[in-house]
Amino acid sequence: MFLARKLVLAHFAVALVAFLGAIVLGEWQMLVRSPLHAWVNNPEHYYRSVTAHGTVMAYVLPTLIAMGFGYAVSELSLGRALVGLRWAWAGFWLVIGGTVLAAATIAAGRASVLYTFYPPMLASPVYYLGVVLVVVGSWIWVALMSINLRAWRRDHPGATVPLAMFGTLAGAYLWAWTSVGAAVEVLALILPASLGLTDTINAGLARVFFSWTLHAIVYFWLMPAYIAFYTIVPRAIGGRLYSDTMARVAFALFLVFSMPIGIHHLFADPQVGAGFKFVHAAMTAMVSVPTLLTVFTILASVEIAGRLRGGRGALGWIKALPWDNSMMLGVTFSFVMLGLGGAGGLINMSYQLNETIHNTQWVTGHFHLIFGGAIVIMYFMIAYELWPQLTGCAPLPRRLVNTQLWLWFVGMLVLSMPWHLVGLLGMPRRMAYYDYSDPALHPQAWTVTMSTLGGAVLVVSALLLVFILARALRTSGPSPSFTFSVTAHPGAATPALLNRFALWIVMMIGLTLVNYAFPIAQLASLKEASVPVIPIGSR
Amino acid sequence: MPEPSAYRWDNPWLRWSVIALVVLTIVTVLIGFVWLPSVHGDFTAQGLWASICRAAGVPASWSNAPSVKAAWRATDVVLDRDMTRIADKDAVGRGATLALNCTMCHGAQGVSASDAPNLAGQYPEVVIKELRDYQDGRRSSTIMEALAKGLSARDIDDLAAYYAYLPKARTSPTTYDEALPALVRVGDPLRNIAPCIACHGQVDQKLGAPWLEGMPKAYVVAQITAFRDGTRRNDPEAQMRNMVRTMTREEIDQVAAFYARKASTNPGQ
Repeated sequence: MFLARKLVLAHFAVALVAFLGAIVLGEWQMLVRSPLHAWVNNPEHYYRSVTAHGTVMAYVLPTLIAMGFGYAVSELSLGRALVGLRWAWAGFWLVIGGTVLAAATIAAGRASVLYTFYPPMLASPVYYLGVVLVVVGSWIWVALMSINLRAWRRDHPGATVPLAMFGTLAGAYLWAWTSVGAAVEVLALILPASLGLTDTINAGLARVFFSWTLHAIVYFWLMPAYIAFYTIVPRAIGGRLYSDTMARVAFALFLVFSMPIGIHHLFADPQVGAGFKFVHAAMTAMVSVPTLLTVFTILASVEIAGRLRGGRGALGWIKALPWDNSMMLGVTFSFVMLGLGGAGGLINMSYQLNETIHNTQWVTGHFHLIFGGAIVIMYFMIAYELWPQLTGCAPLPRRLVNTQLWLWFVGMLVLSMPWHLVGLLGMPRRMAYYDYSDPALHPQAWTVTMSTLGGAVLVVSALLLVFILARALRTSGPSPSFTFSVTAHPGAATPALLNRFALWIVMMIGLTLVNYAFPIAQLASLKEASVPVIPIGSR
Repeated sequence: MPEPSAYRWDNPWLRWSVIALVVLTIVTVLIGFVWLPSVHGDFTAQGLWASICRAAGVPASWSNAPSVKAAWRATDVVLDRDMTRIADKDAVGRGATLALNCTMCHGAQGVSASDAPNLAGQYPEVVIKELRDYQDGRRSSTIMEALAKGLSARDIDDLAAYYAYLPKARTSPTTYDEALPALVRVGDPLRNIAPCIACHGQVDQKLGAPWLEGMPKAYVVAQITAFRDGTRRNDPEAQMRNMVRTMTREEIDQVAAFYARKASTNPGQ
């Protein structure tokens, strides 16, 4: 059982190769703007690199991992062959084609607009086309996940959807709706301007549409990690999932609340009313509910593992945990980074506190810690978990895997903590160089060196990851059967609404309309909001 | 299959989920649009409805000032991408005829031997903007204002087309390495000076920014100095004035020498 093996392997392999390339670019960016290197002579090269790093890390890597993991979950949890394998390959090739188009345009210097687009800056239309192809490829995945669940339901009337599949569908529906914002921005506003059909663009409206995508995309990135928390971690460390219902509530809440809150990215944008900023800030706070539910449930699940291993007393179970188990290490590091990053996130989402850190290095530190740290380390764990399934390899070398995880954890903290610190001191982000000879900046120079060293550790960790997985291809072992976590209360009834999506999707769309319809309508009708375009590298 | 009661109001999961979401939405909207504005003097000055409108980003009026005085404008020319379109041969021909008037200072092939700016290969929107600015008196020059006065809009477009058609005063390619003046390559971030090459070619060539390679040094020094002293003011949004305000005399000399130096290695190409 596991017929889509090649498909899933292809997704992971391409994701990892792209990831390796992008991480080297990231480290190069850190190096050239640190005191260890002279100022980069052509700042455009820096922004080219930032665009490539962001496009790969934010669009290509998580999309491929979510798609590959989704196909694997569909087969492994539903216990049936994937429906629409050909379409899945078509989606895969669309993502690859889109990535190649976007990467080539960036490399040619025709798209140095950063992955968040930033109109009125305009890249070559080929770049946007590439990004659109990546998204369209992922929409095929969304449709396939829905079709596979439907087919399974037909054969199992009244049965409870396996939790892993429930989470995957929540992620898929979330992505389908959240990608609409950027899709509208690109198709209705950016592409016409980029193709030269118009010479102005409604930049404020474009930013509002992008914010529609920009925040919820983080939760699309996060879903595979959360699915792994709930359905793999307890089993891998010898525990039980504390509550299946809690997990489903968390996924449903993410679906409802992670989407209509993106205007907290626009706190400094004058074109959006303060009332909407407050509403979005308050709803952003609601996202902490499923996050804290998850933290609680997973900690309880881990505690079960500790007690099953003979741990006693209030804290004795912590000592009894399998600390040499890679998954134990991975989930611990992920939670520490999630905790630190989440605390930072509370500052970002507060209308007033945001003022101190808006557009500073703090923000860079925040999303590297949350995404590059807490989420990506779980992508590694997913790859490690699936690898024996996908390749029939021998068990992975535990010591090497643990070393890789330690390096990633330490590297990420050394990279992102100095960013948080200097962000508070006001260091702007997206700078190709800083003038360290200035007495006001000189005392902060060491922090950039520090981040560069942290980045170097991350590069080593990434190389080690690819080495471990590549070397495993040359080994073979018994092909183990894959299982998901067992809940502490097997057989407990699942509330009917937590087995279906319609209500949560209606709530997600309804809340989006409440939170976005007016700002969009208002900006779309505002003639003065259109500004002249600035094509990048057009001459 | 869904249980029959899943999507019915008497299912407590559904009822409480919907009620909780609606209540949360109403409460946050009331706080954001009514309560928070009420503690803000500016917002409440015109009553509840006005304060809600302001919180939504649509105040009835944006300013209470009696009337906003029209600001002094640097230029009346709006740079338009259409200006950059490659013109037909007829326009180039007409421009070439008109340009016979210009050869005395700007050179027979648009490359000046008398410290007037080179025009060969200049971007068309630059020539159009400067000529119109001379016509409007936004840029001053005894000679150019008088000459520009007699030109029609089509004459100006034709001249721009002709000069854009001529080969640029470009010299052997320069490697952009540390040997170049820092202001040209990387600017000076702490003085808010952007690198010249961010707009004038190499990193990017922005609309309306002239081609500078091969310009006579005396001309570049004169223009930067004029921008710095505020005697030349036809740069929209004071772009150039803000860039060069803190430049020293030596830095101006260095930058101008860099752009002129390129001409001296292989003049007139």
